[in-house]
Amino acid sequence: MKADVINKSSNRVDGYEKVTGKAKFGADINFGNQLYAKTVYSEYPRAKIKKIKLNKAKKLDGVVEIITAEDVPGTNEMFGRFPVLAAEEVKYVGDGIAVVAAESQEIAKKAVKLIVVEYEEIEPILDMKKAVKDTKELVHSDKEDNIIEHSHHLMRKGDIEKGFKGADVILERTYYTPFVDQAYIEPEVVISIPDPYRKGIEIHGSIQNPYSVQENIAKVMDHKISEVKVIHSTIGGSFGGKDESVMMMAARTSILAERTKRPVKMVLTREESMTESCKRHPYEMNYKIGAKKDGTIVAIQDEVYTQGGPYNNKAMFANWRGSVHATGPYQVDNVKTDYYGVYTNTIYGGAYRGFSAPQTVFGIESLIDELAEELNMSPKEIRLKNCLKPGDTFATGQKMGKDNIPIPLKEIIKEVCEKADYEKKVKKFKEYNKKHSEIKKGIGISCTLRGAGLGGEGIDTAGATITIDKDGSITLISDLTEMGQGMRTAHAQIAAETLGVSLERLSFINTDTSIIMDGGPTVASRGTLAGGQAVIAAGKKLKDRLKKVAAEKLNCDKEVIIIKNDQVYEYDNVNNMIDFDELIGVCIAEKGISLSAQGWYNPGPEELSEETGQGNAYPTYVYGCAVTEIIVDTKTGEVGVEKIIAGYDIGTPINPQQVKGQLYGGILQGLGYGLMEEFEQKEGYLKTDNFDDYLIPSIKDIPDINVILFDFEDDFGPYGAKSVGELGIELVAPSLVNAFKNATNNRIREIPLNLERASLGKNLSK
Amino acid sequence: MDFDFLQPTDLDEVCKLLNEYKGKVKIISGGTDFMIDLHKDELSPEIEYIIDVSNLRDLNYIKEDDNKIIIGAGTTHNEIANNPIVNKWAPVLAKATNSIGSPQIRNRGTLAGNIVTASPAADSVPALLVLNGKVKIKTSSTTKEIPLEDFFIKPYQSKINQDELIVEISFKKPPMECKSGFKKLTRRKAVDKARLNIAVLALQNNIDEIEILRIAPGSITPTPERFEKTENILLNKRPTKELIKKAAEQVSSTMIEKSGYRWSTEYKKPVIKTMTRRILTRVLEVE
Amino acid sequence: METLSLEFKVNGQEHKLSVTPNKRLLDVLREDLNLIGVKEGCSVGECGACTVIMDGKIINSCMVLAGQAQNSEILTVEGLEKEEGKLHPLQQAFLDAGAVQCGFCTPGMLMSSYNLLQSNPDPDEEEIKDAIAGNFCRCTGYKQIIDAIKLAAERMNRQS
Repeated sequence: MKADVINKSSNRVDGYEKVTGKAKFGADINFGNQLYAKTVYSEYPRAKIKKIKLNKAKKLDGVVEIITAEDVPGTNEMFGRFPVLAAEEVKYVGDGIAVVAAESQEIAKKAVKLIVVEYEEIEPILDMKKAVKDTKELVHSDKEDNIIEHSHHLMRKGDIEKGFKGADVILERTYYTPFVDQAYIEPEVVISIPDPYRKGIEIHGSIQNPYSVQENIAKVMDHKISEVKVIHSTIGGSFGGKDESVMMMAARTSILAERTKRPVKMVLTREESMTESCKRHPYEMNYKIGAKKDGTIVAIQDEVYTQGGPYNNKAMFANWRGSVHATGPYQVDNVKTDYYGVYTNTIYGGAYRGFSAPQTVFGIESLIDELAEELNMSPKEIRLKNCLKPGDTFATGQKMGKDNIPIPLKEIIKEVCEKADYEKKVKKFKEYNKKHSEIKKGIGISCTLRGAGLGGEGIDTAGATITIDKDGSITLISDLTEMGQGMRTAHAQIAAETLGVSLERLSFINTDTSIIMDGGPTVASRGTLAGGQAVIAAGKKLKDRLKKVAAEKLNCDKEVIIIKNDQVYEYDNVNNMIDFDELIGVCIAEKGISLSAQGWYNPGPEELSEETGQGNAYPTYVYGCAVTEIIVDTKTGEVGVEKIIAGYDIGTPINPQQVKGQLYGGILQGLGYGLMEEFEQKEGYLKTDNFDDYLIPSIKDIPDINVILFDFEDDFGPYGAKSVGELGIELVAPSLVNAFKNATNNRIREIPLNLERASLGKNLSK
Repeated sequence: MDFDFLQPTDLDEVCKLLNEYKGKVKIISGGTDFMIDLHKDELSPEIEYIIDVSNLRDLNYIKEDDNKIIIGAGTTHNEIANNPIVNKWAPVLAKATNSIGSPQIRNRGTLAGNIVTASPAADSVPALLVLNGKVKIKTSSTTKEIPLEDFFIKPYQSKINQDELIVEISFKKPPMECKSGFKKLTRRKAVDKARLNIAVLALQNNIDEIEILRIAPGSITPTPERFEKTENILLNKRPTKELIKKAAEQVSSTMIEKSGYRWSTEYKKPVIKTMTRRILTRVLEVE
Repeated sequence: METLSLEFKVNGQEHKLSVTPNKRLLDVLREDLNLIGVKEGCSVGECGACTVIMDGKIINSCMVLAGQAQNSEILTVEGLEKEEGKLHPLQQAFLDAGAVQCGFCTPGMLMSSYNLLQSNPDPDEEEIKDAIAGNFCRCTGYKQIIDAIKLAAERMNRQS
């Protein structure tokens, strides 16, 4: 059946508010009588707190309350071991020690400067490899080593020894990636208010995952979960970042709100945001690959260390995803993978678009290119030869191409290379480079597959409620959040398609933990994948109720009622019809039918062995291949990305324009990752804390980007849609360094490929 | 940070206030550096008064007479970059000011501000150095003019005293036949401070001999300056590849002489050499 | 700290306010005039989220002290929608071309684009890039923003 609402580039359902400046982001929300909160941060990467002197600050006019760790009513240890405020020891420069609530932002700013903390410095643990080896110095003294709890994930497939024995060529290579920031343009904001109607607390703000904040704040406040209500404001980008930092902000402001019985607002400065929010985990990836002379990969072994900072911020989840994808989209019979998360006294790692993939794909796709060089093969041919095809088995032993899950890597690589004119360009650039000694051109490939949704990481549930009002207008609420990615527009299109009505009827309310049940976090590119299924489920329930009433009214069988384009009629007898609005009136006023329905999606858990990592990791996968062209000034190290052609199979796009927007945005973040972004620290202190030294791509840095959407049929997701949010970021950095090798014959194994690395082959540091 | 905001209507009043509140006062013009200090709480705690000169017409002009171009201290980067007189007589300055920050910053930031901050990486400074720019400084009772190259003491510190105000930047019109160039190297293609920058101005006679050559690289010495030793390698000679190469090497070694071996030297040493070679090759049109 | 009296025109309306001198133009627009479309992203003049038009030029309102806006004329995103629901062609084009994702950079982006089309009704791609180089967007990769500005220019030129 032809779709009416989905698969169309409709405008955003929340667009009007955003282009007129009316959309309220956290900073734009104010409550009467509110106080302003500001945190006192640690002055050292690691130190014992000897004394906190609050007297001077307390005396400052306009200071209403100051809290320290002592004032936390419930637990002072939240998810990932994050403290609300450090009690005895600070473990990095972003640890909070005290929080001031004052009558104005200005007074709060003055007050934090008057708070004096006496410390006893301790040598910080900064180096990841040292932290692994040296078990005498511990970030957490209750542990036996510095390996993050549950962060060791492994993959054992085939017989690795035997695999390498059968190899004609073996390469060992190590790749490194840095801390990088999500760099959403909106800094974090949280406002906590004493619940106006009952015992409890109400929290607003730029909150990516309202339910985890709710659960943690309940524990911190010693409340029932039901006594904490979280509503996210319009969120100005998150990409995984507005999670633990806002959890800490919510904890601090909630304590202050209850003590002062007033609303308490905390707006982070960009500097505070960069200090306190998570970064993408830096990786050290030690790879060993064995292959036959003809290019067939026979074994991959990898040991990967991921830097977590002082807290366990999802290293246990990200490392699992990493361990599954460590061997890339390739058929490898013998695999041995080990991922370890490591505690250090640095800023902390966490979720940032891709969740292990940007690092892992950079590693494996560089490695494959190195293998191709070693074997004197074309980067394209080695990928075509080894990429997973129907009947192959993934690293987890999962049989690919089963149950109608497409595995179209070969087709995508071929078509993208053709569109990019890959072979011709290789020759052309070779000629060009012969003639030019200083300016070189290069072209590089990378490809990927990505498990859609949470997979074995957790249960991919989601919920949605659809309510039809008397006038036929429809409200949709999901337990997943809109952060700019376009999820609510996709959901609205799915709801309209399911119900058979026009998109104009749909409106959305922000996720509110008190009115819809926790279906899990908005992560893992699952907003449409899982959330969309919940919307369909809710829509189907309502449609069934509507059809029943319509059948009575039209005097025909329920099964022959069609609801389409706001019309309700009998199949094959179009004139026997009733207007949708009229039907709603009948349902509510005449029949007393409930026109509110909740949809719940539960695909069930994936089965995997913890001992070997073997099993079905994900129910389905998305795919991509990119070809990147660059121009390099070998003398100055300037690298210009000229062109990126990227093809993706993300299933059927619910909204093609928005899908492309997600991919373009991901691609440019990937370009930043490959070329310029790096969060610098020295001895545990930050050297980067605002956009003047943390460089993100400007509009002048964008190349010519051409995105091709493939749609290999896959009926797993809602209306054939799969995942898109994170896929775009994965392919740029590896194709960039591969292009750089092609241009200069120099292999860069650590990103970003900045001026120094591009000209000297290494980084320089202050 | 608390302060009183003063908005004098003419220059004399500014100077009077500077004198009266000496040590307790700071000037704001375009504010593109001042506002960052305010946000980061890095303004001196002694400051009690802020004098705004951004709306002073007395400071906003670009004039020419027979010999000189005169630019009011409060003229913004965009006003300079788009000015026909500047583009005619000093395209090197137009190009340099047009490379600063973003359109928003160029609409506010002023020439005097760029100079007075005394950043080693300031973009307008190398351009003004090759134009032999002069800075006119006023107090309530005196007016003096000093060459820009004598203006800087060390990074982020200039010779301007607390009761002084830059009112004008001027330079002699270079001969019409002069050729010039400005190159800025950045990590990002827009809105970025210079990793390295360099300005060159040259005049060749009818047999191609170099009569005027001024070279000012930025971001490689504590304070920006002309590299006269390098200029002398080429002066009064016909430019050749070999001479240019020698000059470029000279820039590198002078950098180390003046700045020592720093963390960034390994990068800057070869790159400033390349930049010098390329800009000289282009400006002097050596094949 | 003596308060100062600030008189200026914002979105066509005269205002006379009493403000503390350490306030930025950004603070006055957001807090005193409730023009929350003006966004604060970095406070150091890098990101462009606080871009407004002051006396015909785009500026970062975080880089201007309130008192410096004395007697000036300011246009913010709120001034683009002439009457409720009647969008400026640029606003409509941003919606139609998919140029909005999280929307936080959008008001500033619109002001830089508006200013561009005022002086250059038919800009080419490079001119568009130059004009909005001071506005960072982390979501869109800029491509659909460029499309939107081209689309608006085309529609506006067809209208006139």
